Amino acid sequence: MSTTAATASRGSHISRILVIARHAFTQLVRMKVFYFLAVFAVIAIGSNFFDLPQHEGPESIGVNVLRSIKSWSLGTMTLFSVVLSIVATALLLPKDVEDRTLYTILAKPVPRIDYLAGKLLGVLMLVFVSLALMDVLMTVVLQIRSTMVLEQQMEMAKSLGWPPEAIESLKAETMVHGPSWSLQGAVFAVFLRASIMASLALLISTFSSSTLFTTIISFLIYFIGHFQADMRDAYLQAGQAGEGVFARLVTLILSLVLPDFQIFNVIDAVIEGQAMPLLVVGKLTLVGLYYALFFTVASWFVFAEKEF
Amino acid sequence: MKNWQRYGILAVAVLAFGAVRLPFEARLAEELRTAGLTPAPMEIGTRDRIGQTSTAVALGGLRTLVATFMNLRAFSYFQEQRWDDLMETFDTIVDLAPRTRYYWETGAWHSAYNAASYYLNDSKLPALRRREAWRASILRGRAFLERGIRNNPDDWSLAANLGFLLSDSNKFTAFRDPDEAFAAAAEAYRRSAATGTALPYVRRAEFYSLARVAGKEKEALALARSLFAEQQNRTPTLLILLLVLEAHENPEMDAAARAIELFDTPEKAHEALAGHWHRIRERFPIYGVAGALESLEKTLKIPKDQSIFSQPMPVPFNPEDLFSK
Repeated sequence: MSTTAATASRGSHISRILVIARHAFTQLVRMKVFYFLAVFAVIAIGSNFFDLPQHEGPESIGVNVLRSIKSWSLGTMTLFSVVLSIVATALLLPKDVEDRTLYTILAKPVPRIDYLAGKLLGVLMLVFVSLALMDVLMTVVLQIRSTMVLEQQMEMAKSLGWPPEAIESLKAETMVHGPSWSLQGAVFAVFLRASIMASLALLISTFSSSTLFTTIISFLIYFIGHFQADMRDAYLQAGQAGEGVFARLVTLILSLVLPDFQIFNVIDAVIEGQAMPLLVVGKLTLVGLYYALFFTVASWFVFAEKEF
Repeated sequence: MKNWQRYGILAVAVLAFGAVRLPFEARLAEELRTAGLTPAPMEIGTRDRIGQTSTAVALGGLRTLVATFMNLRAFSYFQEQRWDDLMETFDTIVDLAPRTRYYWETGAWHSAYNAASYYLNDSKLPALRRREAWRASILRGRAFLERGIRNNPDDWSLAANLGFLLSDSNKFTAFRDPDEAFAAAAEAYRRSAATGTALPYVRRAEFYSLARVAGKEKEALALARSLFAEQQNRTPTLLILLLVLEAHENPEMDAAARAIELFDTPEKAHEALAGHWHRIRERFPIYGVAGALESLEKTLKIPKDQSIFSQPMPVPFNPEDLFSK
C-alpha cells in the first residue's frame, strides 16, 4: 500500500469510528440516562446539610461539610460511572443484533475493529459527558460552600485578633477542602476506572450469550479487581508465609488476569484533603490506556470471525 | 481458526498482558501507598464490623463514603448514649478514613468528654463503677487521639487536642499522676507546634503545661523567656507564670517589684496576681505570689478586710468527689 493510500485508510478508520461512536452516544442518550443528573443534583445539594454538632474550635466550623460534599459527590460519580459503563456496553451489541443494525453495518465495508472501537468510544463519551456535568455541579456547590466557610472563618479570626500568618495558615487549611486540581484529577481517575470497566465489558459481551451475563460478570470482576492487589502481594511475598505451590499458582493467575482497581482509590486521599501530583495522574492514565487498548484488541480478536 | 484455538490464544494473551503490567502496577501501588495516596488494605475486623454490603461498597473504591455513613450511624449512637457501640463505630470509621482529622477528634471527644460526663453523672451505677467507667472513657479517648497522631504525624490539631485533653482540669485526675499528664500535654503541644502549621496559642499552651510539671521549672522558665520576647505572647497567664518561675529560680527576688514591671502599675499587678491566687483548680505553681500580694496590698493600702487573703477561696472541684456520694 502506498503512503497516500495508507493515510487515507487511517483517516477513514478514524472517521468511521467517530461516526459509529456518535451513533452509539445518541442511541444511549435517547435511553434518557441523563435523568440521573437530577438525582446527583439532589445528592450534591443534600450533602450540604450533614452538618452534625461538633466539638471542634470555631476555626474548623464547616470544614466537615466540605469533605461531606466531596465524599458524597465522588462516591455517586463512581457508582454512576461504573454502572453506566458496564450496563451501556453490555447493552450495545445485543441491542444492535436485536435491532438488526449490526447486520446492516457489517454488510458494509466496515472493519469489525472500527465497529467495536466506535461503540466503546460512544460509551466513553457518554461517561465522560456525564462525569463532566457532575463535576461542574460538584465544583459549583463546593465553591459556594467553601467561600461561605472561609468568610465565616475570616470573620472569626479577625474578631479574635489573629496574626496574619495564622489567618493565612487557616485559609490554606480550608482551601485544601475546596475545589482544586487534585479534585479534578480524582474525577479523572473515576473516568479511567469506568473506561477500563467499559472495555472489559466489551470483551465479555463479544462471547457472552446475554446482557445479564455480561453485566453480572463485569460487576464481579469489578469487585474482585479491588482484591487484586492483595493477591499480587500474596504472590510476590509467597514463600515468607510458606504457601504451597497451588496457592502461589492461583494467586499468580488471578493477579495476571484481573485488573488492579485499588490504585484508582486515590480518590479517597483527595477527599481527605491530600494533593494528587500530576505524575500520578499520568501514571494512572497510562494504566487506563493500557487496559482499554488491550481489551479492545482482545474483543476484536474474538469478534473478528464471529458468525451472526 | 477454531473457537477453542481462538480462546486458547486469548487466554495466553491475557496472561502475557498481565505479566507485562504486573511489575509496573506493583511499583505504582507501592509508590501510592508510600505517598499516603492509597490506604492500607482494610482489616478483616473492619470488614466484619461494617457488614457485607458496606464491605462491597468500600471495596468498590468508596471507603470515605462508607465512613460518612458510619459517622451518621455514630451520631445516632451518641444520641442514644450507646457509648461502646459509638466507639466501636469510630474504630471502624478511622480504619476506613485514617487521614481525616475530624473523625479522630470527634471519636476522642465522644469518649473523653461525652461518655466520661455521662458516667460522672449516671446515678444508676454504684460510685466505684461510675469512677472506673469515667476513667476508662477518658483513657480511651486519649488512646484514640494518640492512634490518630501516629497515623497523621503532620497534623497539628490532633496533637494540640491531645495536649488540651491531658491538661484539662476536669480530667487530669483520671491520669493518676498529674505530673506525667502535664509533661505529656506539654510534649503533645510541642509536637503540634513543631509541625509548623499550628496556631500561635499552641506554644503558649505548651508552656502552661510545662510550668505545672514539678522538677521542670528551669525548662519552663527558658520557654517562658523565649515566648515573652514576642509581644503577641504576653498574655496575663504567661506574665504571671514568668514571674512565678523567676521567683522559683531566685527566691530572694522582689516579686512585687517584678510584678509591677510586668504589669505596668501596682493595681494591675495586684489584680492579676489575685486572679492567679484563686485559680487553684488548674494547679498552676504559686512561688512568690503570696509575698508579692502582701507587699502590693501594703503599697496600695488595701484594708485587711478587703485583702485577697481574707476572701474565701473558691471551692475546689475534684471529679473524684462526685464518686464518693
